[in-house]
Amino acid sequence: MAAKLCGLYGAEIIRPAGPMSPAGALGRFLGEAIPGDGPFDAAIGDSGVAGAPVLLRFSVFGPGEDPPMSELGLLALSGLLGIVGESHRPPAALAGHQPAYAAGLAGCTALLAALHAGGAETVDISLFDVTCWLNWKVAAAMMVMGEVPTRGGSRADWFTLPAADGHIALVYMEKDFSQLRAMLGIDDPRFETRAGRLTHRAEFEALIRPWFAARTRADITREAQSRRIPIGPVRAPAELLTDPQYTARGFIGPGGMPAMPFRANGVRPHG
Amino acid sequence: MAEPPLKGIRVVDLGWLTAGAATSTLLLDLGAEVVKVEGPGALDPFRNWAGADPARAWWDESPWFAFTNRGKRSVCLDLKDLRGRDAMLALLATADVLVENYRRGVLDQWGLGAADLRKRFPRLVIASISSQGEDGPERDMVSFGSTLEGTSGLAALTGEADGPPIISGRDVNYPDQVVCLFASGAVVAALMERDRTGEGCHIDLSQRELTSFLLGEELLAAAEGTPSPRMGYGPGCAVEGDVAFWPGGSAPVRDAKALSESPEFRAGTAVLRSPDGTPAKGIPFRFANRPLAVHDNTHSLGADNHMVMAEAGLDPAAIAALEEAGVLATRPRRGPTK
Repeated sequence: MAAKLCGLYGAEIIRPAGPMSPAGALGRFLGEAIPGDGPFDAAIGDSGVAGAPVLLRFSVFGPGEDPPMSELGLLALSGLLGIVGESHRPPAALAGHQPAYAAGLAGCTALLAALHAGGAETVDISLFDVTCWLNWKVAAAMMVMGEVPTRGGSRADWFTLPAADGHIALVYMEKDFSQLRAMLGIDDPRFETRAGRLTHRAEFEALIRPWFAARTRADITREAQSRRIPIGPVRAPAELLTDPQYTARGFIGPGGMPAMPFRANGVRPHG
Repeated sequence: MAEPPLKGIRVVDLGWLTAGAATSTLLLDLGAEVVKVEGPGALDPFRNWAGADPARAWWDESPWFAFTNRGKRSVCLDLKDLRGRDAMLALLATADVLVENYRRGVLDQWGLGAADLRKRFPRLVIASISSQGEDGPERDMVSFGSTLEGTSGLAALTGEADGPPIISGRDVNYPDQVVCLFASGAVVAALMERDRTGEGCHIDLSQRELTSFLLGEELLAAAEGTPSPRMGYGPGCAVEGDVAFWPGGSAPVRDAKALSESPEFRAGTAVLRSPDGTPAKGIPFRFANRPLAVHDNTHSLGADNHMVMAEAGLDPAAIAALEEAGVLATRPRRGPTK
């Protein structure tokens, strides 16, 4: 991911083929082998390149601490697995390759900063540190306030619900509840406060489910957004290929390839 | 010891909550100087995220705010007031970077829109971090991080095959976290380009796009007609009790307590300490020759009003007049919202 981003920023990427090279859609997304020779401005990972002004290294726990590990293991060890999901269901692993990709984002940022400073730098990225960094609220709750947040615990009032044609993400803040209540047409004193809704979560969900189940994602989103409630549809990747917002902004390219996810002065960097 | 990578770079931070504010914090950690600007009527909501006691100086007591914003200089300036807007323009004249994640259109209403700022300050790098981006039919769609998990494709693929799609929720808000790692890099790249061309730029960054980008292979698979189903932990993986298993290995599923007590976490950099000893947001990279650290504590609201405004060229009488008018302040105008 760090190399892919550097390429999108305009760097020339040389990527030796190796036994760990990804294949299939993953390989096409991240980039396939590209032969070439140095000299190099930076070397990423176990490239075997010596003498580049910037060396970007990845490890599991830090320099020299690199035991066998999986992304599921990183999610588990960092607490990011245990906190995601519904309390009455198993923990949920964020889809895709989030620990590795987040480490790639951090690595690219650090590599650019090292180049900006003139090089002569070795940057280390710990996949565990990055995954824990993403999960900072859980760590901070424990270290700062002595709380142990739990999956489906006191903050678990955001969840998905079935709609007539899929699911929607029910997301709202306390200030939004009067609008949510009006939209759903509910009037039950048990649910007037956040604490009440959490205490009676099952009853609350049972009450509101039919309203969502009877409407399409588009209708629900339109109604919620008109009230400025941050509810949105759950969309599958296949739907995103023709998504109006992505199409209007030119985010999805040929073959479904996503572009660099920002524009600079209206133009997307594309290498 | 070499100086930190962004030594000498000045950042004005109009970032709220995590996406904007923690992007600026990473730039701070890389050596930039960051001035966080909030209005007396528009504080960073993190100051009142987990409840506040109206009888106390609640605006300076939020652990969530302190954790994220440690080390930044603090200015409390009313940008809705023309005098405040002018003071902000004076500040931006001395800045290299502006980071903001206001609702689209708000800064334009105040005469601080990106197009105007680009004309006034051609060398300024403006990072606008938004849910949907600056344009498009859903530009104004109200979203939190977990809304974007829904609209980006992440929720559709997260969860058990026979269960509902899962969002990470209030304790994680995943897109708000991951965008900081990316946006800070986009700012550094823009600074490098400025070094080359002399021109700043406006970075229009959509959090929703980034979240989908991080599922890039799934978009390609869907385009090929072989979309992935929602499949829990993936082939050969499982969670039984509090242990996660994958082919060839296993690991405990930690909660907050187990995480904070683990030796790897304590030896790592995900959470560090401010000089006053309070836990602080950590730094997700290590530089061998330019060691990074948390150098400063959290500043109280408006603690740096005088010094920052003076550095922006305002004379003492002008600063006093702003204070007299309540445009420059050290406390909010209202009590905490519920």
